Amino acid sequence: MTAVRASRVGDSPNRVGGIGRVTGGQRYLADLHVPDLLHAKLVTLDCARARILGVDASAALALPGVHLVMTADDLPQPVPRFGPQNQDRPVLAVGETKYHGDAVALVVADTRELAERAAALVRVDHEELPAVFTVAGALAPDAPLVQDPALRGSDPRARTNVLNEHRVGWGDLAGQEAAAAFIVEGRYTFPMVTHFAIEPHAFMAAPDGDGLAVWSTIQHPNWLQKLIAGLVGMPLSRVRVYAPDPGGGFGGKQHAKHEPAVVFAALKLGRPVRLVLTLEESFQAVRRASCASHVRTGFDGEGRILFQDITADYLIGAYTDIADRVVGKGSYPAAGPYNVPAVRIVARSILSHTVPSTAFRGFGNPQVNWAVESTLDEGARALGIDRLEIRLRNLARKGDRFIPFDTPCDGDWAQTVRLAAERIGWGTPVPEGRGRGIALGIKSGPTTGLSYAIVRLLGDGSVVVYAGTSDMGQGARTVLAQVAAQELGAPLDWVTVVMGDTAIVPYDQQTSASRSTVLMGNAVLAACRDIQAKLRSMAARVHGLDEADITADRGVVSLPDGRELTPLEVLRPGLGRLGGELTGLGEVRKDAEPGHPLGGAPAFFEFNCTVIEAGVDRETGDITIDRHVTVSDVGKALNPLQVRMQDEGAAIMGLGHTLMEHYLFDERGRIRNLGAIDYRIPTSMDLPTELHSEAVENADGPGPYGAKGMSEGALLCVAPAVAAAVLDATGVAIRDLPLTPERVWRALQQHDPEKEAAS
Amino acid sequence: MHTFAYARPASLEEAVALLAEHGPDARVLAGGTDLIIRLRDGSARPRLVVDVKGVPELAPGIRAGSDGALVIGATTVMTDIAADPLVRRNAPALAEAAAVVGSVQIRNRATLAGNICNASPAADTAPALLVHDATVVAIGPGGTRRIPLDEFFVRSGVTTLARGEIVTAIEIPAPASRITSAHQRRTRRRGHDLASVTLCCGVDDAGVTRVAFGSVGPRPLLRLDTAGVLADPSASPEARAAAFETIFTDARPSARSMRAGPEYRVAMLRVLGRRALATALERRAAGEA
Amino acid sequence: MTEGLAITLTVNGVARTLGVAPNHTLLEALRDDLALTGTKECCLVGECGACTVIVDGRPVDSCLVLAVEADGSRVLTVEGLAAADGALSPLQAAFLDKGAVQCGFCIPGQLLAAHALLADDAHPTRHAIEEGMAGNLCRCGCYEQIFEAIEGVAEGAVVAEDAAR
Repeated sequence: MTAVRASRVGDSPNRVGGIGRVTGGQRYLADLHVPDLLHAKLVTLDCARARILGVDASAALALPGVHLVMTADDLPQPVPRFGPQNQDRPVLAVGETKYHGDAVALVVADTRELAERAAALVRVDHEELPAVFTVAGALAPDAPLVQDPALRGSDPRARTNVLNEHRVGWGDLAGQEAAAAFIVEGRYTFPMVTHFAIEPHAFMAAPDGDGLAVWSTIQHPNWLQKLIAGLVGMPLSRVRVYAPDPGGGFGGKQHAKHEPAVVFAALKLGRPVRLVLTLEESFQAVRRASCASHVRTGFDGEGRILFQDITADYLIGAYTDIADRVVGKGSYPAAGPYNVPAVRIVARSILSHTVPSTAFRGFGNPQVNWAVESTLDEGARALGIDRLEIRLRNLARKGDRFIPFDTPCDGDWAQTVRLAAERIGWGTPVPEGRGRGIALGIKSGPTTGLSYAIVRLLGDGSVVVYAGTSDMGQGARTVLAQVAAQELGAPLDWVTVVMGDTAIVPYDQQTSASRSTVLMGNAVLAACRDIQAKLRSMAARVHGLDEADITADRGVVSLPDGRELTPLEVLRPGLGRLGGELTGLGEVRKDAEPGHPLGGAPAFFEFNCTVIEAGVDRETGDITIDRHVTVSDVGKALNPLQVRMQDEGAAIMGLGHTLMEHYLFDERGRIRNLGAIDYRIPTSMDLPTELHSEAVENADGPGPYGAKGMSEGALLCVAPAVAAAVLDATGVAIRDLPLTPERVWRALQQHDPEKEAAS
Repeated sequence: MHTFAYARPASLEEAVALLAEHGPDARVLAGGTDLIIRLRDGSARPRLVVDVKGVPELAPGIRAGSDGALVIGATTVMTDIAADPLVRRNAPALAEAAAVVGSVQIRNRATLAGNICNASPAADTAPALLVHDATVVAIGPGGTRRIPLDEFFVRSGVTTLARGEIVTAIEIPAPASRITSAHQRRTRRRGHDLASVTLCCGVDDAGVTRVAFGSVGPRPLLRLDTAGVLADPSASPEARAAAFETIFTDARPSARSMRAGPEYRVAMLRVLGRRALATALERRAAGEA
Repeated sequence: MTEGLAITLTVNGVARTLGVAPNHTLLEALRDDLALTGTKECCLVGECGACTVIVDGRPVDSCLVLAVEADGSRVLTVEGLAAADGALSPLQAAFLDKGAVQCGFCIPGQLLAAHALLADDAHPTRHAIEEGMAGNLCRCGCYEQIFEAIEGVAEGAVVAEDAAR
């Protein structure tokens, strides 16, 4: 073995899988070469909602090389429906398109160009129908229903566009309202934004002997396998899902979009079929729920929060996808990381004729955190209490059951807050024309989970790890390899990580909720422990010792006489002439808790404090962020560089919805700004002048070596911290995002300091 | 993408003949940064695309003409315009404008002729060219025409080029009176963006201020403060504001724009006007040409 | 696929002759005809830079260049950055070293843009880096690490062999 560069847990070795990504060798789904491949294209309508009267595919089919124009009529009847929560989404639109981008047909041809040309020739005779695409529109008494009540079963709300309502609360709200010395309230809106992964979604399917092979940019391969197997009526063992590392996911690739349609087409044609979305189509495939919220916060005279009364109306899309879970889980900790005697949260999932919203980094928390932290900011100002101080005064301490009967506060959150404040110099004079803002946020980690890992220690001491996690950029391969390298004493580049193939890799429930370091990490750790037990047994046999007297830990096998052996020194004599290997299996299970509103208490909380120093050009409304400090409580940074990358990445993504991102609709509910020219995300020139990320590590997490999950926290706090800095600098509170120059300018224009001083 | 035939004429004569023959069924391809997007989204459906990068008379290059004019070859790209010492000295606002057209990748392809022929009201280079009295040199079946830029723009996507005519160069005359200029624009983020307001201010030796602005109506506009109020050091802020009001009278920003609302754009005209004027005056005082 | 117009271009130092249709972009020719899938497709409107390649010494968005326009040109793609023996270029090594690679999808374009930036200006200021790289979007948010990688190469601080493991 070559000399080992630092590659243990706590080091920052180069990204596993990095070389392929810098040489162009990494194969993303659209790069795969598959013989005999056919190409697909969606047929959609240029309206938000329409009744489909008829589809004429004759002109399309007349083109040589066009093999299929598939509509709902060509599918099994009744048309199969799918979805992770409610099986409400048809494989192709049935009778009606329900959002701008809803697919009426799938065209399959010899080339992509041909498929595009053919798709343009498909005539869909349709009648545009009135659409709802705002909260107010969806809730209006005469609003058209987005979903057929007949399909909503016994749901008492079936004749409304309210899909569900989530209520969380505790304490005596009325009593605390009466006791409050001061009450602040505000209404806030959070925009509709899209994931904009640089790799658009892609899907491919091919018959595979008597089974089926499916490729997808999916983050949850096993979930997809189960869905597809059920749709086509095959056993799981005959459906193989390949999940190449996605080029960015952020939640938008968690659940199926067009895989079912592509599968049916491939089965019909008996050939591989691939659909690669355009960027515009990906905007029409996934987004975050927008939200209109109303927050009332009551304080006593010393700034202690007495109650939080929060209502949040999330505008989800035409199909449930995972959106209702987002609303329920995201709103659940909306009262924040504080000890609050009385809380009432009412969050609603409201259907609309828009792109189905889905999971997106932050999972429903950013929308309400925006409102709650902004309200807290205004409350502090009105009470004349320092905005850092008021948070520290109310912050939960380790062990506090700040949400009753739930996971208690699991970190020294005050330490994180103080560190962030210190880094920005909170309390020191603010430079001329600048303002400072601070915000805290928590996000619940996974509430249930199941991860299996298999680890093989091969005869030469090298290691293979099989883990079903999706490495979509967060660096799961590297972290899991580090754990195995550490535990089995192998150099990092002697550890191979196999992911993304359900025929080879054991079951993983999903990659989401920042869970993988904790759950899959623990599974890999458990598998390594399994191997260590076998090494002890092997060493006992080889050396004629009692197994109980031998330890195997972190790559060292210790014998009772003091000798320390490497795993290879045990393996060589232990495997003998026949050779072989040692295999370990690890399982980490977090079972559901039936009584819990979320199905289970979170395994950990992500906690972040963000502090911003910014200035505003009053003439143009431009915000300049001079300093952006983000500190997250991570338990243990298994790979400090990757932790920093994730934290900064989340911060920059948060700047997107804070400053520039939003879907724009016309009066008919069509999206106006599809594509990269008029949907703006942060470029290299849009960064804060100084962006500083730091991690607090107290080894107090449930993951390997005390790790917690992270990567969403920094996103939660950007908007309220920036808006608070703007308020601090200008005296103007803005309650709608994004804070575009025009919006800021308008708010400054409307702000009349004399009027406000008089009131 | 739409299917079309492709021609790469080797001479100006050939290029003109093709364009004259096919009229609206042919489109000129220079940098491609506008055309290829339109070919893909179907808003341009020509039968023939005429790639003019092989025509020697249209070759890129910036030189001083015999009469001191700055002559910019039609296919000169933005990167080279932004970096050119002649442009930076004689028409700094043009260099500034060229430097913000899209990203580096776009600027390495986008041509000055393409920018003006595309005739977007938001064309970044238009205000600077208007302030500097640019002339479009076009050659067609009827011979050579020299078209003052102010007479070149009609409205979005439409110029006064006749059938078969092609722009061969853009000339910035050596003015009788030296003009110092500055460029300003409004965008939605600091990173590259299409402008929601563009503006250029130029001040000449006689104290006349020329203000050109775009993205606030169907075409970029040029207005002159011949009374000399704006450049007059003794003028009051109120007088200056009034002069700008007169200059911006014809701004009619569309209410339908995704990039910014009309009220904001009009307000930004005033802000950008003030700022560009200040820079132009500073440059004048510092002795920049 | 053999189509109407024959073009010859030098890609990563090797002369390649292809038949293309007029409406094929350089991006499509590279990915589909030459099987050089390192250059990526994303926005197709010249905004994201994922398709960045270097043509005759200048970084361009290959989605906005017709293949026929590249006839006679020298093209450098991400596959041409490493040495013939596979040794990573200093820039590639620096990207890995500084943690500039998350999902990796934007990275080929970032590398080419960075390569061109440094070829033009061996010691760019941070501002010049921000401007030079503004045409390459990274949704994972690796910008700071990308800048550090570029600055590292500019300072000659990165040793290629270290990261070639």
